Amino acid sequence: MSRLLAAPILVVLALAGAAAPAEAQTSDDLFDASTLQELRLIISSRDLQTLRADFAANTYYPADLQWRDLKVRNVAVRSRGSGSRSGTKLGLQLDFNRYSTSQQFLGMKSLVLDNLVQDPAMVRERVSMAFYDHMGMAAPRESFCRLYINEVYQGVYAVVEAITSELLGRATGDPTAYLFEYHYAGPFYGEYLGDDLVPYKTLFEPRSHQKEADAVLYGPIRDLFREVNEPDDAVWRERVGRLLDLEQFVRYVAVETFLSEIDGVLSATGMSNFYLYRPTGSTQHRLVPWDKDRTFSEYDSSVVASIDTNVIFRRALAYPDLKTLYLDTLIACARSAAAQFWLEREIVRNSQLIAAAAVEDTAKPYSDDEVTSAVGYLRTFARRRTPFVRQEVARLRAGS
Amino acid sequence: MRGELVPALAALLFVANSAAAQQAPAQPDEGDNWRFTWDEHPSLRFGDVIRLDFRLRLQTQVRGSQGEMGDSNDDDLARRRIGVAGTFKNLVDFQVEREISNDVDPWRDVFVNYRQYTVAEIQGGKFKLPFGLEENTSSTHLDFVYRSMASQRLAPGRDRGLMVHGRVASKMVRYEIGWFAHDGDNARTSDAEEVFGNATVAGRLSVQPFRTGHPLLKDMMMSVALAGSHIDEGFPALRGHTTLDAPFYTSKVWVNGRRQRTGLEFRWRPGPASLKAEYMRVSTERVGESVDDTTLDPLVANGWYVSGTWALTGEKKADDLTEPRRPLFGGGWGAIEAAARIEGLRFGSLDPEIASSSPRADLVLGNADHAVTLGVNWYPRRHFKLQMNVMREHLADPALGPAPDSPTFWSRVLRFQIDF
Repeated sequence: MSRLLAAPILVVLALAGAAAPAEAQTSDDLFDASTLQELRLIISSRDLQTLRADFAANTYYPADLQWRDLKVRNVAVRSRGSGSRSGTKLGLQLDFNRYSTSQQFLGMKSLVLDNLVQDPAMVRERVSMAFYDHMGMAAPRESFCRLYINEVYQGVYAVVEAITSELLGRATGDPTAYLFEYHYAGPFYGEYLGDDLVPYKTLFEPRSHQKEADAVLYGPIRDLFREVNEPDDAVWRERVGRLLDLEQFVRYVAVETFLSEIDGVLSATGMSNFYLYRPTGSTQHRLVPWDKDRTFSEYDSSVVASIDTNVIFRRALAYPDLKTLYLDTLIACARSAAAQFWLEREIVRNSQLIAAAAVEDTAKPYSDDEVTSAVGYLRTFARRRTPFVRQEVARLRAGS
Repeated sequence: MRGELVPALAALLFVANSAAAQQAPAQPDEGDNWRFTWDEHPSLRFGDVIRLDFRLRLQTQVRGSQGEMGDSNDDDLARRRIGVAGTFKNLVDFQVEREISNDVDPWRDVFVNYRQYTVAEIQGGKFKLPFGLEENTSSTHLDFVYRSMASQRLAPGRDRGLMVHGRVASKMVRYEIGWFAHDGDNARTSDAEEVFGNATVAGRLSVQPFRTGHPLLKDMMMSVALAGSHIDEGFPALRGHTTLDAPFYTSKVWVNGRRQRTGLEFRWRPGPASLKAEYMRVSTERVGESVDDTTLDPLVANGWYVSGTWALTGEKKADDLTEPRRPLFGGGWGAIEAAARIEGLRFGSLDPEIASSSPRADLVLGNADHAVTLGVNWYPRRHFKLQMNVMREHLADPALGPAPDSPTFWSRVLRFQIDF
């Protein structure tokens, strides 16, 4: 009897399912942190061979991208990364509008497939960006995927939202802001590079408003570094504050410091891994984080050890309210990371999400044991970083 | 127009007057079989056995445009050609022509033609492939300063080869079929990485259906031409340039396979007027060039023009205006001709919403140029020619062209030519 009832019910349900319109996919679905995505690239076998051989070059190759039931044709693909570039496990940038000006994928013009080869735990980047977001700061969304090229499994990748006008529109409400990618070109700690705009052009590549005059694009950046290096403390705060959102800058560095980033703004080898944006009609710059796969370096790294490396940060912390903001933000980070074991849970959840895919990833430059060990270290970091930072901040407050 | 033209013209007219003074036929040297004459060209003859015609062509031009121009030398003696053409025993014709100012590819036509039988002559050497009415017209006989964009870019041009040609059916039908080393120099660039056709077979069939009929119609000619070759994998050198040689499309698209050219020609020269039209299509296969290594639709380029001329001074176009009825300093002003041409040259699709600039795109995003040319040709006397052209062009995608901010732009050119 129950079978007799079940059969028509199943038929009705099946018909209803078939009749319902397929739900439109969005970028939120792609960056759903709870899902291991599956991306498929189709690249000409000849191009793939050249791409692997010339992975150091930024040459674009055409490809088709398949995600779920969406297929994007004529996607421009190139090798990407600095230290992470690899011909074995390709780091890839996907540009959707390079060959077809109006083409987008889920509202995005480009996407990054991070090969995760610099992080044996493979989750530093994803967890770090999630932490920035958790702390209320604009950051690219990320998820994980299994990447297939020409139906051959390439390994587990981070799907990273490219920092574009679309991201700024989503995260800051200002899609027309001036946006610059900072390119590391050697040790630079915020010194004034002179009145000529050329050195600033080398460091800051425009990602919007590219056709505007150099004076419009780089003039405010040059002015920023000139004012930063002016000696008069009496006017420094007011003048630099017009060109840089100092509060945002201090909070940004505080999050980076909490995450024990060794390749960021306070890096010993110079500023690195960030984008700069300038809202429309404003001269005040702000930072967006990028490439956070060298965070979680040491749970007991000092929160003040590197403050003198960067001119801007050193001068900013001379102001008591900004120093208080820095320490308060560190405490807020510690509190957020520890609340309901947020940071450790994120590490564990992401590690478990990619565990099977990572084992199958034979292109990763680490053994499975090294991955397990690295994840174990991150969990230790998550547990110990909060008390350490609280202790350090308390010591600093007591001393000041 | 630039000031450099004036001294150049003066120099050329000086040469011209000197030459004109020598145009009286030289007296044959009765004591020797070799004799020198200067009729159409300076000529050396050895009885009826050998005739050697010496040729010299000088031309200067000035140009201007609202857009960028190509890299042709525009205001000096840009083209200086010397050549020898001749006949041996009325059976063999030969021609050797060299461009003096060109060190890269100086040799133009270098060929021998064996013509014992009208129905089957054999020509070998370097010469133009039998494709394109205008392309196979000497630059001294062009109705405009420049050939149409289609003729310059889609017709093959010169190459080394062997050709059989002749006239049959009371000369109403002319055929040409040849085997060539490559598919001509028009589809080549100095970029060694760009590919062009390998061994090429080209043929043309021309019909003058009213050759024996009404005088007004007897000159009418219709032709169909085909050329086929194989092209290696790579980016093709075939490209789109404006009337003044500025690029507006570069074929950064992978090709591989057969290249097929198809041409249709029409020519009619009733009395002082002429009407010419051509259509050309170049299709290049893309075998195995998609992202999944399957075959894509061919890369297609096509071009066309329709042109007309009118000899205001009454000369018959079919008889050639280079010899005016009433030359300058001979009781008249020479021959004056008005000319007009509309033309188009197009590569790929023009719809950016569905086409892509990807080198492996199924539907290739291309570009197109449409031009109108108005001109006046003045032939003051034999051997001399002055041409003035004004061109209006419109690009489908101006961003790829010489005037990125304006789809429409004007150009002009003035050319003075001496040809002996």
